[in-house]
Amino acid sequence: MSRLTSTDYLKKVMSRYYTGLRIPSPGKRIAWVTSGAPVEILRAMNIQVAYPENYAALCAARRQSQRLIEIAESSGLSGDLCSYARCHIGSVLSPNAAPWKGLPRPAVLICCNNICSTVTLWYEYLADILKVPLFFIDTPRVDGAPASHQVAYVKRQLEDLVCFLEARFGRRLDEQALKATLKTSAQTAKLWANIRSTAMKRPSPIEAPDLFIAMAPIVVLRGTRAALDFYQLLHKELLVRIDNGVGIGRYERVRLVWDNIAIWHALFRVNQMFAAHGGVFVADTYTGGWTFELMEGDPLESMAHAYLSVFLNKGFADRLADLEKTLSEYGADGLVMHANRSCKPYSLIQPELAREISRRMGLPILLLESDMADPRAYAEEQLRLRIEAFMEQLGGIL
Amino acid sequence: MITAGIDIGSSALKMVIWESTGKILARYVGRAGYGSEARAREFCHSIGVHIDATVATGYGRGLIDWADRSVTELTCQVRWARQEVPAARTIIDIGGQDCKVIRISESGTLADFLLNDKCAAGTGRFLEVMAAALDVPVEELSGVPDGPSVSISSTCTVFAESEVMSAVAGGRNKQEVIRGINNAVASRVAALALRLGCVPDLVITGGVAQNARIVDAIASILSTRPVVPKEPQLTAAWGAALLAHDKFLSKREGSY
Repeated sequence: MSRLTSTDYLKKVMSRYYTGLRIPSPGKRIAWVTSGAPVEILRAMNIQVAYPENYAALCAARRQSQRLIEIAESSGLSGDLCSYARCHIGSVLSPNAAPWKGLPRPAVLICCNNICSTVTLWYEYLADILKVPLFFIDTPRVDGAPASHQVAYVKRQLEDLVCFLEARFGRRLDEQALKATLKTSAQTAKLWANIRSTAMKRPSPIEAPDLFIAMAPIVVLRGTRAALDFYQLLHKELLVRIDNGVGIGRYERVRLVWDNIAIWHALFRVNQMFAAHGGVFVADTYTGGWTFELMEGDPLESMAHAYLSVFLNKGFADRLADLEKTLSEYGADGLVMHANRSCKPYSLIQPELAREISRRMGLPILLLESDMADPRAYAEEQLRLRIEAFMEQLGGIL
Repeated sequence: MITAGIDIGSSALKMVIWESTGKILARYVGRAGYGSEARAREFCHSIGVHIDATVATGYGRGLIDWADRSVTELTCQVRWARQEVPAARTIIDIGGQDCKVIRISESGTLADFLLNDKCAAGTGRFLEVMAAALDVPVEELSGVPDGPSVSISSTCTVFAESEVMSAVAGGRNKQEVIRGINNAVASRVAALALRLGCVPDLVITGGVAQNARIVDAIASILSTRPVVPKEPQLTAAWGAALLAHDKFLSKREGSY
């Protein structure tokens, strides 16, 4: 299997980001933000941002999440709570047990509920134990395109956010700086969309586990030069692969689409079980969450529009349409849905999506029960049997 | 041509030596666990004939590293049904630690499947635990005549066991409790079948298919009369032997 050389640059970018967070400097302020928060405002004000969700995913990928999850549970949190929340709260309660001793402490918390409602309580709990102010942005659910009153409602909250940050940090938001950050963000998101689209080619030059790894900068460094540089490099590398008709360096017997967040602690193990039977994940529905478009015009209004339109903030009809489009655009032979115990808004509608996709497209669908960051919800032999039977179903072994 | 099918399940090791004239030359059913691979090897040698190809299946299929191919039980069941019950469109296979509902396409291939959740409800293990709680051999569970039964509602095997214990402590008679246990397995299995959609003809395989009371209860919930093979534990091993035969015939090495 051939390796993407831009991965080296990715490692550098990410370690520079995490080290940079830790280096003390005068006037340095850190905000902890949710993955769907309007980070461009903070960047334009030169406020450093850290992402508890990304941190939890990293802990899981390094197989260090279980200990933190157990710490959170023994402090009284329910095992039914999102494993990102448990893992991150565990790192806050016991920094010494956490990779890099946890994230550097924040001056403020910024929470946006466009990705789930769990973050609301997670951040309230953080505000309570850390004694730092929390700014909360409410995004009502959207069907189709956001209604104008929804955009106005969120825009108003973004204006409040600016006032809150200006008062808190004694800095002014420079509108030119915000516009520049938004421009970089939009360029990066567009590039990310193009990168994902390269996988429509046969053979695909990239597979979902690569995307899951490569998505880190679009989440945590969106709006920065570093993220843009990395994606330009990656995109170039993929175009070369396409020009040379080179895929990922492995036989592509069936093209698969992955639905839901990765099983971070077993990302490559699970992928290998499909790969062993010629399965290649050419797309996933998760990394597509960061391909939003930012409209021209009033920056806060276009941000309100973009952050309302995050797919997890949308209803069944939009989710179904998106999934159907992805499956047909990427020429999928099968769909694998990770029923992710932690992520309720993502997972609860999967059985119904599966029924509808099966009815419309007649595509074989596999539902795998596991969890994005809690290894105790991962039963490898049971997954293996389901995966191998699914690959036999797709393979015409009989 | 002579081929072997080896099915190492979670609780039993099953083997079939099959001759392409359509005859089973030898069969084996024993406990799985340590030594399964050695016993499989000895059994194959003990037949005293040359085996042309072998397919391994079941949770322990990876142990038989000398097999020509390893295939999941689901595909083996489908292959077996294609030969022995060609009209079958649904198979319910109730094994030691899982329960599978398998849909067969019109052309006799694996079309879809559903497995029980990460839980022992509706499996052979559930019956073993309950039989042990009642201090009766597991075979005795199928010997009860019709009659009233206690209701066991917990899905979890451990909680269901405590329901059984409290029925015993409450003075309910043993037959009522046994009927309750059989009904509990049947209703969980039938629910799984209904989720996938149960298209007739229906076949019920796996060790638990030897319990006629459970088969009857499933039949009544699904309102269809299932076919139960004479040796329901052996069907996956038999299907594996058939696949070994296919494999030997097909010269397309490496073709999946």
